[in-house]
Amino acid sequence: MWQTFIIQPMTNLLLWIYDILGHGPHTFGFAIILFTILIKLITWPLNASQVKGAQAMQELQNDKEWIEIQKKYAKDKEKLAQEQMRIYKDRGINPFASCLPTLIQFPIIIGLYQSITRALSATPYNMLQLARTVYPFQNVENIIPLNSKFLWMDLGRPESIQILGFALPTLAIIVALTTWVQSKLTMPASSNPNDQSAQMTKMMGIYMPLMLGWFALNFASGIAVYFIVSNLLGVVQYAATGRANWSNLFGGSKTITTTKK
Amino acid sequence: MKTKRFSLFFLLALGAIILSACSRAPIATNWAGLAADANQAYLSNGAFVYAVDMQSGKEVWRYPAEADSKQSFYATPVLTADGQLLIGSAGTTHPFVSINPETGKENWTESFTGAKGAWMASPLVLNETIYAPNTDGFLYTLDLKGNQIVDPIELGGALWSTPATDGSFLYITSLDHHLHILDLAGSGAIDPIDLGGAAPGSPVIGKDGAYVGSFASTVEFIQPGGSHEVIATAENWIWGTPFIDGETLYYADLNGGIYSLDLATGSQNWDAVQPDGPVVASPLVFGDQVYVATESGSFFALDRDGKTIWEKAVGGQIYTTPVVSGDLILVAPYQAEFTLAAYDAAGKQAWTFTPAK
Repeated sequence: MWQTFIIQPMTNLLLWIYDILGHGPHTFGFAIILFTILIKLITWPLNASQVKGAQAMQELQNDKEWIEIQKKYAKDKEKLAQEQMRIYKDRGINPFASCLPTLIQFPIIIGLYQSITRALSATPYNMLQLARTVYPFQNVENIIPLNSKFLWMDLGRPESIQILGFALPTLAIIVALTTWVQSKLTMPASSNPNDQSAQMTKMMGIYMPLMLGWFALNFASGIAVYFIVSNLLGVVQYAATGRANWSNLFGGSKTITTTKK
Repeated sequence: MKTKRFSLFFLLALGAIILSACSRAPIATNWAGLAADANQAYLSNGAFVYAVDMQSGKEVWRYPAEADSKQSFYATPVLTADGQLLIGSAGTTHPFVSINPETGKENWTESFTGAKGAWMASPLVLNETIYAPNTDGFLYTLDLKGNQIVDPIELGGALWSTPATDGSFLYITSLDHHLHILDLAGSGAIDPIDLGGAAPGSPVIGKDGAYVGSFASTVEFIQPGGSHEVIATAENWIWGTPFIDGETLYYADLNGGIYSLDLATGSQNWDAVQPDGPVVASPLVFGDQVYVATESGSFFALDRDGKTIWEKAVGGQIYTTPVVSGDLILVAPYQAEFTLAAYDAAGKQAWTFTPAK
């Protein structure tokens, strides 16, 4: 199932793009970039719902009824949560809409990782698996073995640059940074520091850059290229809606506070 | 309602963690390499190289004594005339080592660590010189003490196969679709020959030149001067090294076809025989029988007309080329109940070997 619906289509798509691009030096890197753009286009509706969900959450922070329940049930967390859920339901808001697209990325990431490993075929066994994976229309005899070089990287191996005797994982740093930027821009402001969904979003904003940075540090650098391009496209997509929260990026996450008059 | 949504979130988070756990850092996996002398079989199978007693099928030693997560061994170990067993690591570190076949201890004070890539190919030893092809695309030339003799020669593409020689020239295939010919007298390299597809198997040396199969599904005949021609075809990729027996060239393809080509006439001796599955391993001729191992895990003995004499269900998948030692034929299946088995010419199993944990 995983093989048929994830690995095989992904591997063939990568090979097809690689072939179209002329399978020369650096081509596999460009194939991954184009692949990422395609994935972004396919998941556009999902990301749009993320933007919409985040926007609704932001608007809610200034809603009169929302502010009132924060004040009214400040000391009764259970009741506050019930009331919040009621408002979410009444207004058709999914408080986890901003998390789901991030989680759905995982099968894509793992599928891409396995596809890259298979396409680059480091061993005869990998090569044999690749032979079984390609669709009949692919002219695979001509294109394998794939050229794994892209800029200074070997896309099949973790990346680092030697600086003064230290192996600096530049891509891992860029991945963590761009993931952080993306999460900061999309993070809605919260009116209540105890709001659990806001806390969850905030936690994701901390953990995701670290987790993806760790992936980039340990796995094939082709994955890191995917992360970076995906993050940058995410920022562009969000900024294009005009809802990017730039103040989060430069001024830190601000909490909307309510005061008794 | 809230509990339900949080449960959903945590389930998704858990799923993400489980999925991410499936994608560990790349670990090179491959089928085993196999060699043998009169007394022992040598099996390179992941973390260890094993020496197995040919009489009993018991482990004699393993190298290294303790598994090193950075090293793995899949190339066919090579025995030298002066009693060394040579093999390189295909792990994240890739030392090229010399092992004492009797004790399993290292011979050289320092292993050769000059290559940038993994060792998938076995070296060729000729006139006290080791010619070692690496996946970094370089051919390394070492003396029998592991010292580099000359600068490595860049051939390009990953080199997965053992060089072949007629004593005057080296023939080396590459995954970059080319066969490289090097003049051992030092007059330089002859222009590489485009095979039309990657060539993971070695060339085989015949009376007047070399024969090589490739993913172009062709067998090419190459003369020392570099002239070449396609002399036979197959239905699918040719993976293994062809086998020459007198005037007959045996080769196999991934469709499972076994071919017997009469080199004198250029005609096939039989219509392609298809035992029961794709064939990656090279055919082996021993005595009057042609041995073929398939990906379906079967081991066949055929007569010279391609008729099946006997068939054994070994299990797993067989990609490693069978090896002869004395009157036994060794088979190393991949992902099977055992890692090595010995059969006699009648197909009777003499022993099996499974490494102790």
